[in-house]
Amino acid sequence: MPAEQRGLGLVFQSYALWPHRTVQDNVAYGLKLRGVAADEIKTRVAKALEQIGLGHLAARYPHQLSGGQQQRVALARALVYEPPVILLDEPLSNLDAKLREEARAWLRQLITSLGLSALCVTHDQVEAMALADRIILLNGGVVEQEGTPTELYTAPRSLFAAEFMGSNSQLNGTLASRQGGQAEIEVEGQRLRGVDRGSAAPGAAATGVIRLEAVRVDGASGGNGLTMTLATQMYLGERWEVVFTRGATTVRAYAHAPLAEGEHHVEFPPDALWIF
Amino acid sequence: MRFGWYRFLVIAVAAVAVLAPLVLVFYQSFLDAPFFQPVTHFSLEAYSFILSESDFWDAFVTTLLIGAGMTAIAVPLGAILAFLIVRTDLPGRSWLEPVILVPIFVSAIVLAFGYVVALGPVGIFSIMVKSWIGVVPWNIYSLASIAIVAGLMHVPHVYLYTAAALRGLGTDLEEAARVIGANPWRVAIHVSLPMVMPAILFAAVLVFFLGFELFGIPLVLGDPQGILVLSTYLYKLTNLLGVPSYQLMAVVVVAIVVVTLPLIYLQRRLLRQSQRYVSMRGKGQRAAPLRLGNWRWPAFAFIALWFFVTVVLPIAGITLRSFVVTWGEGVKLTEVLTLDHYRALLNFPNIERGILNTLAIGTIGGAFAVVGYTLVALAIHRWNSGWVRFVDYIVMLPRAMPGIVAGLALLWVFLFFKPISPLRATLVSLWLAYTIVWFAYGMRLISGTLLQVAPELEEAARTVGASEARVMRDVSVPLIRYGMIASWLLIFLIFVREYSTGIYLLGPGTEVIGSLLVSLWGTGDVDLVSALSVINVAMIGIGLAIAVRLGVRLHA
Repeated sequence: MPAEQRGLGLVFQSYALWPHRTVQDNVAYGLKLRGVAADEIKTRVAKALEQIGLGHLAARYPHQLSGGQQQRVALARALVYEPPVILLDEPLSNLDAKLREEARAWLRQLITSLGLSALCVTHDQVEAMALADRIILLNGGVVEQEGTPTELYTAPRSLFAAEFMGSNSQLNGTLASRQGGQAEIEVEGQRLRGVDRGSAAPGAAATGVIRLEAVRVDGASGGNGLTMTLATQMYLGERWEVVFTRGATTVRAYAHAPLAEGEHHVEFPPDALWIF
Repeated sequence: MRFGWYRFLVIAVAAVAVLAPLVLVFYQSFLDAPFFQPVTHFSLEAYSFILSESDFWDAFVTTLLIGAGMTAIAVPLGAILAFLIVRTDLPGRSWLEPVILVPIFVSAIVLAFGYVVALGPVGIFSIMVKSWIGVVPWNIYSLASIAIVAGLMHVPHVYLYTAAALRGLGTDLEEAARVIGANPWRVAIHVSLPMVMPAILFAAVLVFFLGFELFGIPLVLGDPQGILVLSTYLYKLTNLLGVPSYQLMAVVVVAIVVVTLPLIYLQRRLLRQSQRYVSMRGKGQRAAPLRLGNWRWPAFAFIALWFFVTVVLPIAGITLRSFVVTWGEGVKLTEVLTLDHYRALLNFPNIERGILNTLAIGTIGGAFAVVGYTLVALAIHRWNSGWVRFVDYIVMLPRAMPGIVAGLALLWVFLFFKPISPLRATLVSLWLAYTIVWFAYGMRLISGTLLQVAPELEEAARTVGASEARVMRDVSVPLIRYGMIASWLLIFLIFVREYSTGIYLLGPGTEVIGSLLVSLWGTGDVDLVSALSVINVAMIGIGLAIAVRLGVRLHA
């Protein structure tokens, strides 16, 4: 089916606002093509521009707008003829980092308040979780997992899903045992318990994945950890990122304060360690 | 679906316009008499006649020699010019580029006249030199002179492609060589030159190919000595046998096309190759230009000398000649000044019409040509189809026909197809010939601007519900309107300059300055020729000034 007969709304990554038309005319074009009467076009465009908070800029040309404003106009252009679904192609990738966070919040608010059906394509997992009610994770064109953001983040079904969302550390070892949803992996001569997510038989190679924020480095031992050497630590502002090594294994974690040089006990809570 | 019809309609019209003349020429070449005669037979007589003519073979060899000679002159000069302008701190390099391109827009026949009146045996500058040293140390009527003049005139073509390649070449590649210890000249020889070599090679083939299109220069400078090239041989053949010997002319045209078509194909391949090099660019930031030091002004003088010899000398000569009664040894300028030649132009209604027709074909005809090129360009715009290749070849074919050949072929088309015959004596025939001859050039201009329209601007219109035709009307065309105006200016310049295409179409009602100049030169009326030439140069000068003022890029 030719693109013009699909009746969808599409917001382009580069916005694709027509440079030879004003904001008003950009937004009005879809209505004009649908044969809407001139005065109705006017009111509907005004309403759409009001919704995106740019009612006062209708007479401007795209190049006179900031990147964030252009993105809003592109959205208004896709909204104005009330398509059943709006497609957003990496809607925030052209904005600089600070603006992106604002636009993200604004976009989420607009989608929920107007009750829009929006399909948003992104490779930024934070953006996906912030914007979406449901996430479909694609890997090479195949659906890897779908569900709510919480499901994807807290219960990844595959190694790809686990690695894709959030920041993780990997523990490579061999599977020691699996039973009743629990598994044990042997890493650097130590057995670690975790949630069974894989299908390998004991003795086969396995990978443990744990979110950085789940690794505990406060010295308390829950009996499921490794003694590791502090390799380096980086100040990130609100916290420190610390890197430990033991043999071939490297583990990253967050700490609230800088740690002392030397060896530390690094704890992997069994319910947060997924073994694939 | 309606847009699909539009596409095929446009392609069909373009294909007919391009193929009809060529097919007719091939058909004619296998007849034993002009096609309009009641009885004609298929025969190879014309081929055996032409191929056994020693004049034909002389002309063929002369064409090759001139082509090779002008290539040998234009390529090094053009490449050096490009390097000086793009990469060095040459004085005035910001305004030099439009100046360098001027020879492209000045009629070759006007320049040829200019050389005769300036440097001919009794030329204005020849006499000056003779009064100093006693002899005229050159002979303008020779094979070498033709090659040198043609070579100098085609320097801009080489310049354009080399400069574009040099600009496309990231300076970081050169910086990298500098950093590891190569001095600027080594960098030029070992890095820049090899990288732009494919572009230079392409330009060399182009210039050699353009050697087959030469007409004005060999006609004016070669004919008096009996030096013929293929195009002037064709021109002379018109009256060789008393009756119009169309079949013989057709054979010469076929001979020309048989040589030029492979050259065009070679150009396409080389162009693709040179673009492969350009795509190897690094990050495109501009580095500091190479310092010429003490060589700055000598380099500038070198360019100035080329420009003086190629443009200033002939145009100054012909301008001066147009304002004097006569010229010769011992003539004092103040005693011979006159405006009579310009007044005389008005006594000839056909010349007056020619001037108006030239303006009309440049402005109105140019506008229609741009519209036509745009229609074709839109028909294949962002179309994923094998037909695009077909159109590419259709566009390319007319290039194989030098202007004089295309004019002849078009004349035959108008004679052959009876329904359109009445148009032959109108400007429509001339316009069609011009538009076909410059098809490839015009398409390059228009599709160049169309390509600059970001595809998502058109896709966006599709997604909000516009059909393909609607997208063209509401998005693509409005976005390229400035490009179209710029193209119109360039086409105006080209159409006003054109002289060879109109020769065979010249008749009452279809006079233009270019073809009138050729026929007036035949009568030997230098007074009228020089005055009319100056008017032609003035038109082009005004058009060029407007184009430069508006910031139009002078090349496709």
